[in-house]
Amino acid sequence: MSLVINEEFLQQIELLQILIKNNVAGLFGGNHKSKTFGSSCEFSDYREYVAGDDITKIDWNAFARFDKLYLKLFLDERQMHTRIYIDASRSMGYGKGKKDEQALKLAAALAYLSVCEMDKVSIYVIRDRQVEEVVTNMLGKESYLNSIGKLNEITFDGDSYISEAILPSTVGYGDGTSVIISDFLTDNNYEDAIDHLAGKKRDILCIQVLSKEELNPKIRGKMHFFDSENTSRFYRKNINREIAQAYKKALEYATGRIGDYCAARGADYMLVSSEDALNDIFFNKLTVKGVIK
Amino acid sequence: MSFLYPLGLLGLIAIPVLIIIYIIKNKYTEQVISATYLWTLSEKFLKRKNPINRLTGIISLILQMLAVIFISFAIAHPVFVLPGAANDFLFIIDGSGSMNIASNGKTRFDAGKDEIVSLIKDSADGSTYTLIFAAEETEVIYENLDDKERAVNFLKELSPSFLASGFTDAISAAQNYFNENSGVKTVLVTDKDYENYENVTLIKVSAGEQNYALSEVTPSLSGGKLSVSGTAYSYESDATVTVELFVNGSDSAVASQQVELKKLEGSQFTLDGGDNADYRSLRVAIKEGDGLSLDNEVVLHNIKTDNSYKTLIISENQTFFIKTALKAVGNTQIDEVTPEKYELADYSGYGLYVYDGYSPVIMPSDGAVWFINPTVSTEKSGFSVQGVVEPEAPGAVFVYNPSSATRVKNLLRGVVKDDITAFKYVKCGLYRNFTTALSHGGNPVVFAGTNGYGNREMVFAFDISDSDLAMSVNFTTLVYNLLSYTFPSIVDETVYYCGDTVLVNVLANCNSIKAEAPSGKTEYLDVSNEICEYTLKEAGVYTFTLIISNVSRTVNVFSQLPEAERFTTVSEQSFVISGEASEQKRDGKYEDLLILFIILAVIFIADWMVYCYEQYQLR
Repeated sequence: MSLVINEEFLQQIELLQILIKNNVAGLFGGNHKSKTFGSSCEFSDYREYVAGDDITKIDWNAFARFDKLYLKLFLDERQMHTRIYIDASRSMGYGKGKKDEQALKLAAALAYLSVCEMDKVSIYVIRDRQVEEVVTNMLGKESYLNSIGKLNEITFDGDSYISEAILPSTVGYGDGTSVIISDFLTDNNYEDAIDHLAGKKRDILCIQVLSKEELNPKIRGKMHFFDSENTSRFYRKNINREIAQAYKKALEYATGRIGDYCAARGADYMLVSSEDALNDIFFNKLTVKGVIK
Repeated sequence: MSFLYPLGLLGLIAIPVLIIIYIIKNKYTEQVISATYLWTLSEKFLKRKNPINRLTGIISLILQMLAVIFISFAIAHPVFVLPGAANDFLFIIDGSGSMNIASNGKTRFDAGKDEIVSLIKDSADGSTYTLIFAAEETEVIYENLDDKERAVNFLKELSPSFLASGFTDAISAAQNYFNENSGVKTVLVTDKDYENYENVTLIKVSAGEQNYALSEVTPSLSGGKLSVSGTAYSYESDATVTVELFVNGSDSAVASQQVELKKLEGSQFTLDGGDNADYRSLRVAIKEGDGLSLDNEVVLHNIKTDNSYKTLIISENQTFFIKTALKAVGNTQIDEVTPEKYELADYSGYGLYVYDGYSPVIMPSDGAVWFINPTVSTEKSGFSVQGVVEPEAPGAVFVYNPSSATRVKNLLRGVVKDDITAFKYVKCGLYRNFTTALSHGGNPVVFAGTNGYGNREMVFAFDISDSDLAMSVNFTTLVYNLLSYTFPSIVDETVYYCGDTVLVNVLANCNSIKAEAPSGKTEYLDVSNEICEYTLKEAGVYTFTLIISNVSRTVNVFSQLPEAERFTTVSEQSFVISGEASEQKRDGKYEDLLILFIILAVIFIADWMVYCYEQYQLR
C-alpha cells in the first residue's frame, strides 16, 4: 500500500496553507487570544485593586487621577494544543471506501495548519478502549515534518469505543481544539466523550467520514451483509427500493443525531465523504461551519 | 367455468419449473461491509404495516407465476357462466318457396328475418352468430361472426328461393356445430310445424294465410277449338274462386269459371278458349288474391307457332313417299321443283330443301337439307359419294346403330327395329361429324349432322322406292325423328316447376342465347354444344332469346312454384340435434383482455430478466 502521507501530499497541504493564509484569518480563530487575562502586551481593562493583587500591575496614573488603586489588565496569550483523535476501528479501513485515507489526510492537514499557527499538535488513535499516541506535542514545521510520517503506520483494525477511550486520557483544559475523526457508525457511546471535552473547555470538531457506498448505496437484490468489525453482526434482506429509502432515512437520522448533539454542546460537526477533495473540505465545509474564519 | 382449449393449461407446468429455477438461482449474496449499523438502523424506518413487504422477497416469483397462469388461462380460453354472458347463436332460416307467402304485406321470410335481427340486437356483446340458409341447397352465409351490424346486414340481403328446401343438410350442419360447442343456441326460423324437435328453438312464422293454387293446366284442341282444363286448390280453408283464361297476353278474359274449393282437395275446371287454336300464349289465373300469388296463375306458350317453316322438294322422281311422310308429321307448306328448274332459278327462303335423286352443285346456305339417294358429291355437304353398292339378293339389310348416345336414341326413338332392306344404296364417305342411324357393311345409309354452313343435314343414301322402308311402320316415325332433329324446337315443353332443368336446343347458326328470369336477372348460355341446360330457380315466366344469323327468336316457358311449397301449413317429422346441451356461454367481453394478459406477461418476463441480470452483476 502506498503511503498516504507522502511528499506529494505535503506539498499539497503547504499550498493549502498558503491559500488559507491569504484568504482567511486562520484556523480555529486565528491569533488564539485567550478568554482569560494574562501577561501579554495587549491592554484589556481596569479593575479595582484587591488585597493580594500584584502591586506591579497597579496603574499609578489612574491612582493620581482618581485617588483609587486600579489594576491595569492585559489579555493572556497562551499556546494552543490541538489534539486530533483518529478512529482506528476496522470499519474505517475496510473495503473500497478509503475512509482511512481520508481520515489520515484530514488529520495531517489539520495538524499542519495548527503547526503553522505555532500551536502544539498531538495526534492519537482510538483503538478499542484506549487512546494511543501517534505524535505528541509537535511544534513547528520541522517537528511536523519529522513526525507526521508516523501516520502511515496506523493500522485500522478491531473495534473502537470513543468515550471509553477519551475519558480516561489527558485532554487538556481550555487550551485548544479537540478533533475526532470517525465514521461514528457504531452503537458505542461517543456522546460522553463530547461532553467530557466540552467540560474541559475544549473547542470540539467532530468529523464524520463516510464512504460513497455508505452515503448513496446502489446495491439491490438479496444481500447478506456482515459487519467488518464483528462478523456475528449481519444484515440479511432483499434490498429493494423501499429498503433503500429506509436506509437513506437511517443515514439522515444517524448524521442528524450526531450533528444535533454537537450543536447542543457548542461543538462543530462536519460530514465528509471519503471522495471529497481537501480543498473542497477546507474552503467550503469548514468555512460554512465557521471552523475557518 | 369451462375451457374452450383445455390443452392451454399445460402451460401451468411452467410454475414448478419457475419455482425450481427460483430456488436454484435466487441465493443471498454474501458481502462484508464496513458496518451494518446503518442497514440495521434502516429497519426502524420500514413501513412494517404493509403486508406486501413480507412478500417482497418472492414478489418477482409471484409475478412470474401469475404471468404463467394468465398466459395459460388465456390460451385455454376460459368460458364463464355469468348472467348476461354472450352466447354462440346458430340461426337456421327456411328459404323455401312457401316462405314467400305474405301476410299484411310482409312475407314469412321477412318476418323470420325480423325475428333473427331482434335476437341479434338483444344478445350480449361478444356473442357470435352463424347463419345457415336452408333453401334448395344448404348454405352457410356466415360463421362465428361477432359483429352485430354485419350479421344483420348479411341477413337483410337474403331472399327466399322458389324451391322446396331440404333440412337434412341443415340438421347435419347444426349437429356439427353442436358437437363442437354444446352451448350453442340453435334457432330454427321456419313456417313448418315440427312434431319433434330437440336442442333447437323453433320460431314459426306462418300465420294461417289463405292460399289458392292452380295445377295440371292443360290446353287441348278439338275441331279447331281451344279448351283449357286444370285443377284448383285451396290450402287453408274452403272457398269459391273465379278461374279466368287470357289469350295472347290480353288483359281481357276470354273465359271464366266459378270453382268451389274444398280445403286441400283439388277441384277440376274447364275453360272454353273458343277459336284460339293457334294461340301464342295462354294465361290461366285465379282472380281472388291470397298470401302467395306465385301459384295463382299458369302461362302456357305454344311451341308449334314457333316452329313453322316451308319445304322445297327438288326431284325428278315421284316424291309421293316423302311428301306424304312430311305432311303426316305436320309439315304442310311444301313446294316441288325439278332439278332443271332448280338450277335455272334462285330458290331461297325455305326452311328445308329436300334433294331426291339429285345432288345440287351448290349447297343452300339458308336452310336445312335432306339428301335422298344422292348422286354426286356436293361441296360443303359434309360427305362424298363413292359409288353405288348393289348387294346380291335379297339386297342390303340395314343395321340399326346400337349406340346409346342421346342423338342416336333421338333419331331412333319409337322405331320398331324390323329389318329394312334395299336393293342398292350409295356408298358415302363422311368427313364431318355425322350420326349414323342405319348402316350396311360399315357404310352409313341413314345419317344426320350439320353441313358446311352449320345447317342441319340428313341423308338417306338410297332410293326409298328401292327399299321396303316406305312400306314399313317405321317410315313415318323415322321421318318424324329426322324432322325433329332437323328443326329442333328451342325447348320441348313450356311449363315446368321451379328447380326443373330446361334443355335449350342450340339451333343452327345460333350466336347466343339469353335467359331472362322473372326477376329480370339475365344470363347468357353456352352455345358451343347442341343442347344447353338451364335450371329454373324462380317462379314465373322465363324468356329465352336466341340470336340466329342476326335474327332474334324468343320462346317463353313458365316456371310453377313446386306443389309442396304451396301448402300454408306443412308438418315435418323432426328436427333433432342429438346430444346434451350445456349452459356454456361465451365470455365475449373478456376476450379483449387476452392481449392485455400477454402484454402484462411480457412486462413481467422482462422484469424477471432484468432482475436476473442484476443478480448476475452483483455476483
